[in-house]
Amino acid sequence: MASAMVNRGGCRIMKSVSAALGTRFYAKIATGTDIVSAAPSVSLQKARTWDEGLASKFSTTPLRDIFKDKKVVIFGLPGAYTGVCSNKHVPPYKENIDKFKAKGIDSVICVAINDPYTMNAWAEKLQAKDAIEFYGDFDGSFHKSLDLVTDLSGALLGTRSERWSAYVVDGKVKALNVEEAPSDVKVSGADTILGQI
Amino acid sequence: MAPIAVGDALPDGILAYLDDENKPQTVSIHSLAAGKKVIIFGVPGAFTPTCSLKHVPGFVERAEELKGKGVDEIICISVNDPFVMNSWAKTFPENKHVKFLADGAAKYTNALGLELDLTEKGLGVRSRRFALLVEDLKVKVANVESGGEFTVSSAEEIIKAL
Repeated sequence: MASAMVNRGGCRIMKSVSAALGTRFYAKIATGTDIVSAAPSVSLQKARTWDEGLASKFSTTPLRDIFKDKKVVIFGLPGAYTGVCSNKHVPPYKENIDKFKAKGIDSVICVAINDPYTMNAWAEKLQAKDAIEFYGDFDGSFHKSLDLVTDLSGALLGTRSERWSAYVVDGKVKALNVEEAPSDVKVSGADTILGQI
Repeated sequence: MAPIAVGDALPDGILAYLDDENKPQTVSIHSLAAGKKVIIFGVPGAFTPTCSLKHVPGFVERAEELKGKGVDEIICISVNDPFVMNSWAKTFPENKHVKFLADGAAKYTNALGLELDLTEKGLGVRSRRFALLVEDLKVKVANVESGGEFTVSSAEEIIKAL
């Protein structure tokens, strides 16, 4: 089982040379990271209709509200309405929601660099809103703070999230899985993280 | 950049879409518009209400009429990626003629001078709502809203100019 899991227990290797020279330093996510401290002034936007946005004055949700005192399984993916995300990554999390709840998980969260209205429409199309909480990281600030971004300009998507999953207890990362290739669902799937809870 | 206006030359730019095999492709605006009569209308965001319920349907419903009046192409652009645009286009199953093209990084929207900062609404930089009538790359009609409201940028308004 261990060989099948590329469990990034240690820090992620910095990708660019300029980063290695220390010209920019993004907080990195690893097992043991406190997610709220790593991305201090970051909020996410709950998937919503425009009317819901208007009614809530376009409120955002600080990370503290999502993670503090909670057991959370969170997974991120490159893009709403893209093939692998829609067909392979989200459905198993939806189908296994009872197993997650049985293990004491408070929320299963899906996040992507999309606006919250697109996330909402996509979540409804996948009929996954009852099981999973969808959030939009519309400006990428959440993923950039955690160094979980990748350049998908080749697929005309621009800067997007890696495909990843994490088990987070009271804001502390207990398990973290990041795909080598964003088009795969090998380590970031629901079955892997179920085994890590 | 000053907003595009009547008499201006239509700038060129690259937009994206998904082909029949759902693969992302690019197309240049000039390749669609050179030597032709085209309508280009822009919306702030896929899956938002005014865009979905009022702006696009107007053009979908009146597309035949527009074609009958010599319009070669009806193009909808938005600052969204081509996957989102493709899926949003499918929510208009009766659509036969409107092409949905993605200006993911807002480059073309900026070239038109029609960018709109909707960051506080969770959308980032998007396009203002607008409709242009362009003949052989020259802008004949430019109906541009100041924001996302829906008054002059409708299909109804632009038909009057044809």
